[in-house]
Amino acid sequence: MRQPRLTGMETDDLSAQIHSLDPAIGLRAVGALHRLAEQVEAAQVRAARHHGWTWEQIGDALGVSRQSVHAKYRE
Amino acid sequence: MFERFSDDTRKILGFAMEEARYSGDKRLGTDHLLLGALHDPGPAGILGVTLDQARAAAAALDRTALASIGIDTQGFERVTMPSRGKKPPFSSGARSVMEGMLRYAMDRKSRQITTANLLLSLLDREEHDPAAALLNKLGVDRAEVRRRALSS
Repeated sequence: MRQPRLTGMETDDLSAQIHSLDPAIGLRAVGALHRLAEQVEAAQVRAARHHGWTWEQIGDALGVSRQSVHAKYRE
Repeated sequence: MFERFSDDTRKILGFAMEEARYSGDKRLGTDHLLLGALHDPGPAGILGVTLDQARAAAAALDRTALASIGIDTQGFERVTMPSRGKKPPFSSGARSVMEGMLRYAMDRKSRQITTANLLLSLLDREEHDPAAALLNKLGVDRAEVRRRALSS
């Protein structure tokens, strides 16, 4: 995935753009962000375990409890 | 209601649950019911759409929406989602689809709730519904599909 461009003038343009979005697109974008976050989380939790992170460290990094991350991702 | 589902319909609900998990959604929505139905060659034939086409269309809708808020996910490949954790509950739209398919079965005085009943109920979804958005994106001719589902 390429980096989102969120710098300088483009930030102002983007803010204006987000406020003027059709809700059908804007709400879909929110749903898509949640889905994307879940996908990135799944990939990164796996990577962190591979690198020897404990469930507690991963939970703290994600701002959730050790138990919830373990229940969701244990093999 | 669930005990009246035909085996095919019951399987589709299982697939819909997998689709919800696979996309990382917290609710089982009407779009997942549609994707679930496409696992079955019967409904897929009536709709004239394949599961892969529908998944690609859903991903395209997400990509376009994310691009509109400055996030470029072109080329992002789906990761395998965990199969553990909570079962996503039905969205209110998905519950309405369940009620609709029961009505279609009752109209036909059928004891079983069939996959055709599910399709007809999905076709009734109106604007702003995820399944309706997906059907539009896929260019599905609803009137024609309804005709085929009723005669199946």
